[in-house]
Amino acid sequence: MTTKLSTDFRTTLKKEIPAWIQEGIVSEESAQFLNTRYELDTLKQESSRLLAAVLFTLGGLLLGGGIITFVAANWEEIPTVAKVIMLLVTLLTFHITGFWLWQQKGWSRLGHALVFAGCLVFGANIGLMAQIFHVSGEWYGLFGAWALGSVIMAYAARSWITGVLALFTATIWFGGFTFDHHGEWRTVFPLLVAAVFLPLAWYIHSRVLYVLTFLSITLSLAFLTAERYSSGRYVLLAIAVSGLLAWAVGEFHRTSGIKPDFGNPTAGLGLLTLALGAYVAAFHEMWRDYSFDSAVKPFSLTLLLPTVIAGVVAITLLVRSLREQNERTFLQFSVIAASVILSICAILGANHHGDMVLLTIAANIAALLLAGAAIASGLLDERRIAFWFGTLLTVLLILSRFLEYETSLLLKSAAFIACGAAVMAAGIAYEKYLRQKELNV
Amino acid sequence: MKKGMIFFAIAIIVQVLILLGVPAKKVYTRATGKDVILKVAPVDPYNVLSGYYVTLGYDISQPQTFANAPKFEADETIYAIVEQQPDGVWKPVGIEREVPKNLPANRTCLRGRWNDWRIIYGIEEFYIPEGKRQQIADDLTKNRNEARVDVKVDAQGNAALVRLRIQDRIYE
Repeated sequence: MTTKLSTDFRTTLKKEIPAWIQEGIVSEESAQFLNTRYELDTLKQESSRLLAAVLFTLGGLLLGGGIITFVAANWEEIPTVAKVIMLLVTLLTFHITGFWLWQQKGWSRLGHALVFAGCLVFGANIGLMAQIFHVSGEWYGLFGAWALGSVIMAYAARSWITGVLALFTATIWFGGFTFDHHGEWRTVFPLLVAAVFLPLAWYIHSRVLYVLTFLSITLSLAFLTAERYSSGRYVLLAIAVSGLLAWAVGEFHRTSGIKPDFGNPTAGLGLLTLALGAYVAAFHEMWRDYSFDSAVKPFSLTLLLPTVIAGVVAITLLVRSLREQNERTFLQFSVIAASVILSICAILGANHHGDMVLLTIAANIAALLLAGAAIASGLLDERRIAFWFGTLLTVLLILSRFLEYETSLLLKSAAFIACGAAVMAAGIAYEKYLRQKELNV
Repeated sequence: MKKGMIFFAIAIIVQVLILLGVPAKKVYTRATGKDVILKVAPVDPYNVLSGYYVTLGYDISQPQTFANAPKFEADETIYAIVEQQPDGVWKPVGIEREVPKNLPANRTCLRGRWNDWRIIYGIEEFYIPEGKRQQIADDLTKNRNEARVDVKVDAQGNAALVRLRIQDRIYE
């Protein structure tokens, strides 16, 4: 197995190994083993290539930008055919040089950098082509065409950054298109994004693209529900569903051993989404706005599929944890319960003041459950960021409630002091816990 | 390796096809269409320049030009019929839901999309070179009644903008 750790760690390791051999800590064979395992021989090449890749991309972009600006500046002097040929040649030069460096010379990073720059040039070229022939159309059309060309290139070149470009442009296209069109089929977008970009992220093993795809799904679901129902509480429903979906998929990666490094960032995004929704819903006043249209609407078909997938994955994980009586039960139960509470609140809405109080209490409970889940993840997965996120969310909830309801300055100051002391105590306890765990290992 | 190269080549071909696809319809219309000259309707002087293009309006862009027309839905496709006048400019004479058949030689139709406040034919945005932006904007504002556009209109009524003329000045 090849374990690729951070470049810093590998650089230090490479420096240390000769001394270890001298001091007899490791044998020549073990040193060779470490060398192969951590790919230490490629280290120098990698870093110099990374720098070269950054510089070449920058140079390439300037070059491409220069040619495009030249076409734009000499609009009238250059015949139309020549303009088109110049744009096509620029595009082909980037892609073919990139491919040649990547495949023939083995300069993977540099090659990918040029292909990525080629896809940026592709986007600029679409705009220029439209201008040359006076093609008028909606602005987002450019982003749609750009996304289509880029996603195919991302698959062909196995380039995560080109994939991110395609995802970004596709999401912008969707935003513009949804604003203008009200047909049913645009609700397919979140599904389409999942079907196109998740396999790509899987295929090229890109965590960044994987997480950003879930972010795009979350944003598009929220946008679709906001636009369809024009009521904030349905956006809360979309947030509860898509947050649970991302979290459940991440938790699946964490516990199943299938692409385990996808787990933390994906589950983290899900938890963050849910926490954001719960925090906003925990304000009493929000329910006045959320509930102006209190009739229960039919559950949107757009949300049905993500709800089913999220529900099935989450419940399966929880059932397995309960059966095995393992320590993740609390964490999984808390997140599922929080998203169920938020969903129910969003569907019911408030009809009168009494309902508002109940919904606010429920949202606060959901937010606290999520904070608890984050702290549990900090302990179980030994992730500092999750622990601190959970702790800060708890503090933020307490202080927000004090600022919302309590007017006495003295009580407010007591709350601030108590929270500050609690955060410090929690931090110290957590660091001790981590050290203890390290010692036990 | 070979498979990778084929896949990469396909990706490049797709990008090139998308690029060529952007102006394909306009190129077809320009190649096969009939020459039509339209008078540019007075342009709001405060909104002539929108970035890299000027927004042009025509008599056929305004729903009130077709006061006796049947009621159209938003986004409905319409065909505006124009007729050549002795001065060479084509003026609106009617509006239809379907492509009108057997039009005489001095008439043709432009395919548009009906909106309640204007009708869009895809010839409203005239992109201009960087150096001439202000000049064209000023020219349009000063000589708003003299501005004409040359368009090509194909058999399906699709229109493509070819050039903008203000008196004897030609912008392409």
